[in-house]
Amino acid sequence: MRRHPALRDALIAAIALVVLLLIPAFHRSPAFEDYVIRVSAMALFATSLNLLVGGAGMVSFGHGMFYGLGAYAFALLMQMTDLSLPVAALAAIAITAVGALLVGAVCIRLGTIYFAFVTLAMQMLFFSIIISWQSLTGGDQGLRGGIPRRELFGFELGSQLHLYQFCAVVMVLGLLAMRHIAASPFGATLRMIRDNETRAGFLGVVLWRARLTAFVLAGAFAGLGGVLAALFVSGAYPELADWPNSGQAIFAVMLGGIDTFLGPLVGTMILLALNDIVTRVTEYHGLVLGLVILAFALGLRRGLLDFLRLRRKGAKA
Amino acid sequence: MRTRKIGRRTLLATGTAGMLAAPWVAGAQAKTLRIGMQSILSGPIALLGTSSRNALQMEAERINAAGGFLGRPIEFVYRDSKGQPQEAARVARELVNSTGCELLIDAEASSGSFAVQEVVRDLGVACIHTNSETSSLTADPKIRVPTAFRVARQGVHDAIAGSTYLAKFATDKKISKWATCSPDYAYGRDTTAQYLEFFKRAKPDIEVVTQAWPKLGQADLTEVITKLIQAKPQALFTLLYAGDLSAFVNQGNVYALFSQMTVASPNFDYPVLTAIKNLPTGIQSATRYLETFPDNPGNKAWGEAYRKKFNEYPTNWSWQNTVAMQFYEAAVKKANSLDGKALAAALTGMKINTPFGVDGTITMRDDHTTINYAIGWGQTVPKPPYITDVKPADWGRIVELETEWKKEQHYI
Amino acid sequence: MDLDALGNCFASSACVVTQTTSGLIVGMLLFLVAAGLTLIFGVLKIVNFAHGTFYMLGGYVAFSTLALTDSYTLAVVAAAAAMALFGVLFERLLIARVYGSNVLMQLLICYAVVLIFDDVVKIVWGPDFHAMGMPPAFQVAPLFIAGGVVPPFYAVLIGISAVIAIVLGLGLALTRIGKTVRAAAQNPSMVSALGVNTTLLFALVFAVGGALAGLAGALAAPVRSLSPGMGFSILIESFIVTVIGGMGSIAGALVAALVIGLLRGFGTIGFPMFTDGLTYVAMILILVTRPHGLFGREVA
Repeated sequence: MRRHPALRDALIAAIALVVLLLIPAFHRSPAFEDYVIRVSAMALFATSLNLLVGGAGMVSFGHGMFYGLGAYAFALLMQMTDLSLPVAALAAIAITAVGALLVGAVCIRLGTIYFAFVTLAMQMLFFSIIISWQSLTGGDQGLRGGIPRRELFGFELGSQLHLYQFCAVVMVLGLLAMRHIAASPFGATLRMIRDNETRAGFLGVVLWRARLTAFVLAGAFAGLGGVLAALFVSGAYPELADWPNSGQAIFAVMLGGIDTFLGPLVGTMILLALNDIVTRVTEYHGLVLGLVILAFALGLRRGLLDFLRLRRKGAKA
Repeated sequence: MRTRKIGRRTLLATGTAGMLAAPWVAGAQAKTLRIGMQSILSGPIALLGTSSRNALQMEAERINAAGGFLGRPIEFVYRDSKGQPQEAARVARELVNSTGCELLIDAEASSGSFAVQEVVRDLGVACIHTNSETSSLTADPKIRVPTAFRVARQGVHDAIAGSTYLAKFATDKKISKWATCSPDYAYGRDTTAQYLEFFKRAKPDIEVVTQAWPKLGQADLTEVITKLIQAKPQALFTLLYAGDLSAFVNQGNVYALFSQMTVASPNFDYPVLTAIKNLPTGIQSATRYLETFPDNPGNKAWGEAYRKKFNEYPTNWSWQNTVAMQFYEAAVKKANSLDGKALAAALTGMKINTPFGVDGTITMRDDHTTINYAIGWGQTVPKPPYITDVKPADWGRIVELETEWKKEQHYI
Repeated sequence: MDLDALGNCFASSACVVTQTTSGLIVGMLLFLVAAGLTLIFGVLKIVNFAHGTFYMLGGYVAFSTLALTDSYTLAVVAAAAAMALFGVLFERLLIARVYGSNVLMQLLICYAVVLIFDDVVKIVWGPDFHAMGMPPAFQVAPLFIAGGVVPPFYAVLIGISAVIAIVLGLGLALTRIGKTVRAAAQNPSMVSALGVNTTLLFALVFAVGGALAGLAGALAAPVRSLSPGMGFSILIESFIVTVIGGMGSIAGALVAALVIGLLRGFGTIGFPMFTDGLTYVAMILILVTRPHGLFGREVA
């Protein structure tokens, strides 16, 4: 196993997928299925952000723009054309990748803090374009009227069970693809740049090209997350591309852990579960969530999985 | 000490795992009838949710004292969507699927209500939108849903009523040069355009000398105010609302704006009227909710009861939610069922007696939206009743022009 | 887009003067909030995402103080003092624990504080917005200067902002404390080794930053609305200002705030539906051509 990490990852992914797909056969819980659907969109989004943050040391505050772009591109393609769902989804991801290429070309040369803020400004510009371009996007009221749920290999995505299955498959495949990228020589190059860019430069790495590639890949996967989000809400809304949504992804990454591949997934699961529980109990969920975040940030000092991993290492040593 | 510290952190870490399992513990089914209510209960426009919830609380007490629905006591389950459409969609599904709510009150603002609409389409449960004023929610047959209704004022009704009133006002005062100042998003832009369109139809000689579009929640409106003053209009029409409207009045006062032009707005409601310390006299405004209009004992008693119970004035959203429950009450009785389809059949075309109707009644038209609710225009005074000399709108004229508008939009 | 209107405006001196003055007013108020943000970053390399919360709490403290004492001066002083104290507590109890860690960890802690205090404000002052109203002393007719209109209240605000800009600038450049602060910004461990109490120094910087934000909140309260969550848009605006000006530069913040103010003053005439987008475009253009902002130095 040790010699075939890719095989091991694929095996874990397959097991996870089978478990997810089997659950509804034993117990149907609409709330659980909704939860998994939302986790799938958000986890792809957060993990793609971590390709940048943890993988390449590029802290983007504006990653939500690609999530939103994916959602809008997909929803618009489904509403305005007769493309089948996978084609529309792939086209939406391609559009998002082009968007990420344009934004990345401007941003990637900047230093950490300025990179963070320019990506944020780009996102706010994108957001204000969505609001302003009302004839196309529906402005602040979002793209209404629903997304036509065309049948796909016998899947009818209007049905919650089928949407659940579809999202579970897409999430697992998407995560596996990102895992593959992170574990590839390219992923190693990014980590080298993150740790010491001067040395990476001496070793002949073209810094901007590696960074831009990472930025485009991360954007594309965020777009895939956006496609799932659009399917869940059956439309696209500017809030998907708004700053708080980028913030959510950042917190998911931080809560779960930036140095562990599955950290953002775990962070997403915690964040959404917390949200679901706390909003049931109190309208002061900001207060509760804030205290929980503080407890994590000051108590663990790092994401949950990073913390557990370090503890295990500590125990072994 | 060291071991204790690690123990505490581990506890924190493992505790999270337990929390993850919690949301799907099924709630026990009770004899009580649960009604799901979702709205914005946090953030800058939390008043939307809280004043809706207050009204529903009063309704629950009243209805339960009278024996509940079909002999079952009712209970509201309140949820906060934070104004995010994806949360609104999730919450709506959760209320029905896991919390066991059999009826829905959707007290979301516009974009949230569209997200809820799609969920209702899937679930087939009965739902009344109580706060969305966007006309297309029910007017557009592509967006309308068989079991979803609106009990709320509506953009196009307000635009017709307001422009008719303002056209007469402008003719009487010989005002032809107008400026507009509205928030820069769909509500502000569409509704301003709608007002102007009906306004020009009623009074073709008006001229719009300038238009300003501050962004929603813009704290500092100075450059907008000076721009408006320089254009030297005789009157200003604004769709700013709540905190933005209050800031506009305070900052306009600094520039003596209100002495240089007549100001007209449909949005001076109690929260704004009571918050502003130096409210100028003579602003032309619609009544979103007013205890003294319609001037009847039922309305007055309800307003006073609300104030006594919650120590604040009711809002426009409060009466809309109250009327929604009055419609549910009548429809449940008529259909003798809670089924979405049966209730929809009962609600369509239903007319109820209510103090908030302009003639003591409000009708749920067959396109799932209410008519005959109170719309009036008057002028502001700095002390209660805050708006005086209120003229009721002519519903015959509203419906006539609305029908024309719907034809132009290809809705009918 | 309305380029004709913009052309007409530039052709008329009254329009140019009035919109320039408006731009200055908008800009100086922006500077007041941004000054604390940029000071904290300059010395501590901490991006204070909770700065908008300081501003919000300052406004609410002033609102309640005025209601209790009927004195606007007292309200302003109380807001500044309360936020100075709040700044120190915030630094000591929370931020001090994450010095040197990832910028995301700082973001996380600040975000938690933002969430908590938005709800605290809602619990204490209610979910509805409040308006403080203009203090009676300023309820007077506007002044006319060179064809432009200047309300007295805004003249006072601009005066206070200008004084703060000068005091901060000169204070950092000339006084002993200012020099220590600048030295600490360059090399904190060296300053510490030389026997300066950096703990005290850092707390002091947060106290000043907090006081400035609280002051801004109190000074803006008579004309703006108070509501839970009001800090966010202010935070974004101040970030734009500090980033354009160069993070850590007081002079840069001043210039950038005025640039943004003027952009809005004339943007509302020429691009009434894209004023907001204009600001972001300006920010992106400036950062692409000058990656450290107008007055910024290299930061790690």
